[in-house]
Amino acid sequence: MTQVTERLEGMDVWIYHGQIYIPNTYSAGAVGSRFLTELRDRKRIMGTKCPTCNRVYVPARSVCKDCFGQLDEWVEVSDKGTVLSYSVCHQPNPVQQVEVPLVYGIIQLDGADTGLVHMLGELDFEQLRIGMRVQAVFKKERVASILDIKYFKPLG
Amino acid sequence: MGQTYHTSKRPDVNQAEMVGEAVRAALADAQLSIKEIEGVFFSNMETFEGIYLPDHGMAAEVGNFGKPGLKVCTGGTSGGSLVVEGFYMVASGLYDLALVIGFEKQDCGDTTAAITAAATPVWGKGATTGAIGEFAKAALSYMETSGAREEHAAMVRLKADQGACRNPYAHLKLGLKSVDEILKSGYLVWPLRLLDFCPQSCGACALIFASEKRAGKITKKPVWIADVEVVHQEPFRAGTFGDPTGKETYTQHVACERLYKRNGITNPRKDIDMAEIYEPSNWEEMSLYEHFHFCEKNEGWKMIEKGITEIEGEFPVNCSGGVLATNPIGATPVIRVAEAALQIRGDAGEHQVTKDVKTALASALGGPNWTVLTLLKRLL
Amino acid sequence: MAGESSQKKAKKPTLEYIQVAFDTPRRYDWSTGKYLGKFYAEAKENGRIVGNRCPKCREIWLPPTPVCPKCKVDMGWDWVELPQTGTVTQYTYLVYPLWDPHYGEKWANPYPSGIIQLDDGTYYRHFLEETDKDKLRVGMRVQAVWKEDYDERGQGPNDILYFRTIEDQEVKR
Repeated sequence: MTQVTERLEGMDVWIYHGQIYIPNTYSAGAVGSRFLTELRDRKRIMGTKCPTCNRVYVPARSVCKDCFGQLDEWVEVSDKGTVLSYSVCHQPNPVQQVEVPLVYGIIQLDGADTGLVHMLGELDFEQLRIGMRVQAVFKKERVASILDIKYFKPLG
Repeated sequence: MGQTYHTSKRPDVNQAEMVGEAVRAALADAQLSIKEIEGVFFSNMETFEGIYLPDHGMAAEVGNFGKPGLKVCTGGTSGGSLVVEGFYMVASGLYDLALVIGFEKQDCGDTTAAITAAATPVWGKGATTGAIGEFAKAALSYMETSGAREEHAAMVRLKADQGACRNPYAHLKLGLKSVDEILKSGYLVWPLRLLDFCPQSCGACALIFASEKRAGKITKKPVWIADVEVVHQEPFRAGTFGDPTGKETYTQHVACERLYKRNGITNPRKDIDMAEIYEPSNWEEMSLYEHFHFCEKNEGWKMIEKGITEIEGEFPVNCSGGVLATNPIGATPVIRVAEAALQIRGDAGEHQVTKDVKTALASALGGPNWTVLTLLKRLL
Repeated sequence: MAGESSQKKAKKPTLEYIQVAFDTPRRYDWSTGKYLGKFYAEAKENGRIVGNRCPKCREIWLPPTPVCPKCKVDMGWDWVELPQTGTVTQYTYLVYPLWDPHYGEKWANPYPSGIIQLDDGTYYRHFLEETDKDKLRVGMRVQAVWKEDYDERGQGPNDILYFRTIEDQEVKR
């Protein structure tokens, strides 16, 4: 429980190096929970489909953003997809659970109408290009988290 | 209007879906489609859930994709400020139909910790004990100056619980039977007991505001917002909510004096039929009776002793269970307005008050002692 | 389709809700600024409690402030040393441990927190030394007790450990 205050050089001003630390727990909700448990138990990526707009949302959502309809039709989408965009991050951040340099991209899985943000791995930077085909690599130990997919690796 | 069934944990929905429930309930009550709504406004205190900018991620669930709106966060009065915001938007003529939603999913984080985090970190760390500590000090002050006893606070709690048991949406329905039962419960932060303070609830409440020309077409029983008043201030030096020096001005006095004067209210207990006030603790409810001029100074505890504020009483206050039974902080002031409106409409079901309600007052309270008042009427 | 509906039937009895935990503290660097900084300096170097005085209404403000909350004028640099004894006007104590976000742990501060009216009339919120609930009373006289170690000071108001009770008689107000 130490408090760290530091006096600024030559001034009567102190800086308090502190924190706001409140642990949070978020509910994934019924729909989110099903999406995550399918990742954990069956290594399947599931989406919800809106019959009116003919859109498949991945990760699964409970409401369609265009028609406000409630979605309860589940479909499985492929674990292969296309990279729509990507970026490489070199700056570490305490909130990030992964080491830098971190490559991540927006991937549209076959069968989905939305992009999924996730990491790309097992590649050299020279291989990165928009339109490249990738496939999900699942972790051996899965805990019903989006990180149960380790990353997406290039196909072929 | 629409409310979710308020409770302590909602693992079956995430924050966005919970808000969606209230929105659908409100649209069903008004028999409108989301497409007709022109603007959507939110109130939420982000630190409680630890979700920054929550309204940015719920366009699908709330149905506000492509619509204008904004989020209001003014501490405990967030919902009150939201109602005022929605009122200005429609009364000014900018919108004909606005949707206002107050929400809070407090099972995501620790509320008292979040309020403690609001203390200036370079002054008084560790000496602030969240909101509870401040109300505890105010309660002690009230006990000393007015002659109220712990039995009176327990009577207020009993009234709140009886109201909550008759309200399907309320969170804490404890089935308390007597004052003694309450006096046996343990202290949390002295002199407040566990039962003296509001719970941490998950819930959302949505209201639809319509302009005069649309309201008549939507419903036969519109409830009109006649007036609003907002007063803010800095914390009292001698205590945040209660001032023992007698020298400071309370925002409640300033707000209600202005509101009453503008609306020709000279005897609040006769001119207004009932009130839904924001009372975070039962001691505070008694102080608020005095601040809003429902009774003379230091007589608040007599009102509860004589049963004046019960459902069948002469001046019912918080018959829905009030904040003591349900407190999703961002939604609570919106719920006060919703409950007051239900009473005016006559739709409150089992917790409808016996007398006919034509005018009602809803209040919001926040730290440090900010006040928002809303006056609702059946006929303007 | 048939496969999916049988899966739905299998899912119904065991609905599992996933909770996602986020457990990282957010780090900040807060500055006291000039006015609170003067309080910190006087507390650390000289063991004094100071407030600043408004040039217009002559009221003393604690914590020190750059603008007078009543008159809305610039406070200037008029500092007043305040007495270190006072009377307790309100107090409360924690029974259950509560999570403190600045420290990142749950604790029930054993020292009650109170609002003390210093002998010149200014109000100050701080801890009391008396942990025996039965001895706590509104009206008791208290005195500031400082941290002895110079190097440990520099925490501003927390340089005062707590306020110790000095007399048994109750002061009538």
